[in-house]
Amino acid sequence: MTVVAPDRIDPATTVHPATSGSGPRWPIPVAGFIALVFAVPALYVTVRTAQLGSDLGDTLGSAMGPLGRTLLLASTVSVTAAVLGTMLAWLVERTDLPAARLWRLLLVLPLALPSFVGAAALLAAFTNTGLVSDLLGVVGLGGPRRIRGFWPTWLVLSGFTYPYVLLSVQARLASLRPSLEESARLLGRTGWQTFRSVTLPQLRSSILAGGLLVFLYSVSEFGAVQLLGYDTLTRVVYASRISDRSTSFTSAALLIVVAFVVVATERRFRAAATDERARGRARNVVALGRWRPAAVGLVGAVVTFTLVVPMLSLGVWARRGLVEGRLDLGDLVGPMLNTMLAGVVTAAVAIAVLLPLAVATVRHRSRAAAVGSVSVVNGFAVPGLVIALSLVVAALRVPGLGWLYQTFPLLVLAYVLHFGSQALGSAEDAVRAVPASIRESARLLNSDRSERLVRVDWPLMRPSLASGAGLVMLSTVKELPATLLLAPIGFDTLATDVWAAYEEGFLARVGLTSIVLVAVSAALTWLLVIRQLDRR
Amino acid sequence: MTTTRRLPALAISLLALLAIAAGCSSSDSEDTVTIYSGRNEELIGPLLEQFTEATGIEVEVQYGDSADLALLITEEGEDSPADVFLSQSPGAMGFLEAGGQLAELDGSILDAVPASSRDDDGRWVGITGRQRVLVYNPELVSADELPSSVLDLTDPAWSGRIGVAPSNGSFQDFVTAMRADLGDDATSSWLEGLAANDPVPYPKNSAIVAAVGRGEVAVGLVNHYYNFRALAEDPAHPGLNHQLAVDDPGSVLIVTGAAVIEGADAADGAAELIEYLLAADAQRYFADETFEYPLASGVEPAEVIPPASFADTGAIDYEGLTGGLEATRDLITAAGFEG
Repeated sequence: MTVVAPDRIDPATTVHPATSGSGPRWPIPVAGFIALVFAVPALYVTVRTAQLGSDLGDTLGSAMGPLGRTLLLASTVSVTAAVLGTMLAWLVERTDLPAARLWRLLLVLPLALPSFVGAAALLAAFTNTGLVSDLLGVVGLGGPRRIRGFWPTWLVLSGFTYPYVLLSVQARLASLRPSLEESARLLGRTGWQTFRSVTLPQLRSSILAGGLLVFLYSVSEFGAVQLLGYDTLTRVVYASRISDRSTSFTSAALLIVVAFVVVATERRFRAAATDERARGRARNVVALGRWRPAAVGLVGAVVTFTLVVPMLSLGVWARRGLVEGRLDLGDLVGPMLNTMLAGVVTAAVAIAVLLPLAVATVRHRSRAAAVGSVSVVNGFAVPGLVIALSLVVAALRVPGLGWLYQTFPLLVLAYVLHFGSQALGSAEDAVRAVPASIRESARLLNSDRSERLVRVDWPLMRPSLASGAGLVMLSTVKELPATLLLAPIGFDTLATDVWAAYEEGFLARVGLTSIVLVAVSAALTWLLVIRQLDRR
Repeated sequence: MTTTRRLPALAISLLALLAIAAGCSSSDSEDTVTIYSGRNEELIGPLLEQFTEATGIEVEVQYGDSADLALLITEEGEDSPADVFLSQSPGAMGFLEAGGQLAELDGSILDAVPASSRDDDGRWVGITGRQRVLVYNPELVSADELPSSVLDLTDPAWSGRIGVAPSNGSFQDFVTAMRADLGDDATSSWLEGLAANDPVPYPKNSAIVAAVGRGEVAVGLVNHYYNFRALAEDPAHPGLNHQLAVDDPGSVLIVTGAAVIEGADAADGAAELIEYLLAADAQRYFADETFEYPLASGVEPAEVIPPASFADTGAIDYEGLTGGLEATRDLITAAGFEG
């Protein structure tokens, strides 16, 4: 697996001698425990695959097509999302883009729509008789009759996943010291040259972390991909889950192997980029000048395609039901509160669990922490159904855990296993944002450890932690398979409501509930993420 | 710095919420019937409330996808809190029966429906049926061009114009019924003929109905229920159902069923619930509110749906079919579909 080359250590980062083995001892048991818990889904899949004893050669042979398509889709989508997300983050964070605060919020929201709803709404809008094709009809163009296959899937997934990169990069930009960029500008570099030679290298770890999330998301994505008619490995896991369990589990095992290889590779690349910089006081604003219209156009186009058009489509569905009085907003209050509770608690727990791992990785360069991190990140590539079933088995078969079954804590655990990886990269960035020099001065000036934590570390870490927590929260509020299987009976969320309505074709209800889901996500994102990034 | 002071308070309130939520977990007792329902809350929720009012028996319902819930019951094993399983499709029922997780039902329950709508071993009973039909867009194909047998869809005239859901449970159930009816060889060659006509794969019935409405495909192989739903959502939806010949393998009835889980704590209440779902009132509710075919003897379907006779169709005998659902999926994928 990873890890950090010991010869490349910035003296500023080393409080403890940084070669592995000579740091403090606590990271080993802590990371070991985290690694074990996060490995539960992988262990479950391994055991079941072995028990069901499929003909491995046979299954692998038939899985090659879907596997190839999975890899093609995941890599193209993650590269696209990385470019788009980085560009947008720089625009809203470092330039004089008008209404930057509003864009900051709107650009994150596509993440709140369950992908199958987003894809269904886009399909409805762009194909024959849809909103967009009607508009095209006005200027004499027809919408396409059929939207299917690789390119539409690539476009839709890229549009729904770039916020993973955006948030991660944005938080990094917010905690970067602008003085280097200022010096570059003073030395006569243009804005673009400065970005390429000064800013970009410092963003590398955040871009890689965000891109990795997009890759893993695309690997485990099911609803949108199937709706757009692109056949991937995760579809095989679902389609064969009761008709041919050994194929289903072997395919899931294959997904885990893919994720493992990708995660380990990414960490090797990222390992070198562990600089530490304190954030600056003022933002370094680049004047867009004549590029301003183009920048506004780009941001506007992205928001239109990924948010406005799907929401309008959903609005058309919801309107029909509201006009006919078939819908009652009051029904949604309970699911709304449950959704918010699940999102906020999961985000807080994920940060609390992963921060120690991040400290061990970044400050102590612990090998155990590196192993733990790979285990954490893997969880994102495992389909939610598999995570849920693995926790069912763990809760019911491991002695002493039975009380957890069908409780809220087990549901939160499932979310943390599935989405914890989204907070890990940000947690590491957060730890890097507190330079050793500042920690040292604080220690000399004030001996009270908890006060140092609250007054020195917390403000510096806040932007990155907020972005990580935000990602976890946005994923949690739309999570489906694990929520359906593990939630305490009667614990409905907005996402389960959307699913139930969509499954039987209650489109008006899909529309209304999805709009409420996006509104709830917007409010939480504003309060818990955007305001944290802004406060400096 | 206000955040400083708020932190501990926030942590405490979160913990309190956790504790409250944990305390709300379900109570598994003999008085409460725990239902795992693959049937939608919108369709069956009101009926379950009426059951509690009528009998005083409390119910707890875990809603989800039929196949997912079947997997859940399997992994829970003897610890399953479920007393009753309501399935949207016979495939999920067959899966649980093969795993030995369904209890035998009383003869009085089984006798409420015709023999073709229940399990031969008496471990599950059909509640309602959804008929397989051809949904079509009259702007793209006229009614008199439509075939009376699903077997005719291999005609090259249908090339590129058919929507199917090969990895969906209802398509797999339909193919399983065809195997029982025509045998594996005939089924296999029909599937190959269909695949040669470049059908467009969709994930599920509702997606096919929507696609037919948009004109992506002219016809689609679906359950009859979904076009009624689409019309209720949007009166301008152009799709129409075409019923295939009564004895055609393409017009098989997909049975939604009920079963009691082996070792259920509330076995008596569970049996009472299933009796309730098969009684005239509930069957009337299904017919009128969900447009499904009621299966209990003596209850007529709603007037808006065409009458159908199910003498030769109905429940699928998984036990009698070599390889069951897995063999069905093998046939589907071997023909070139994404199973």
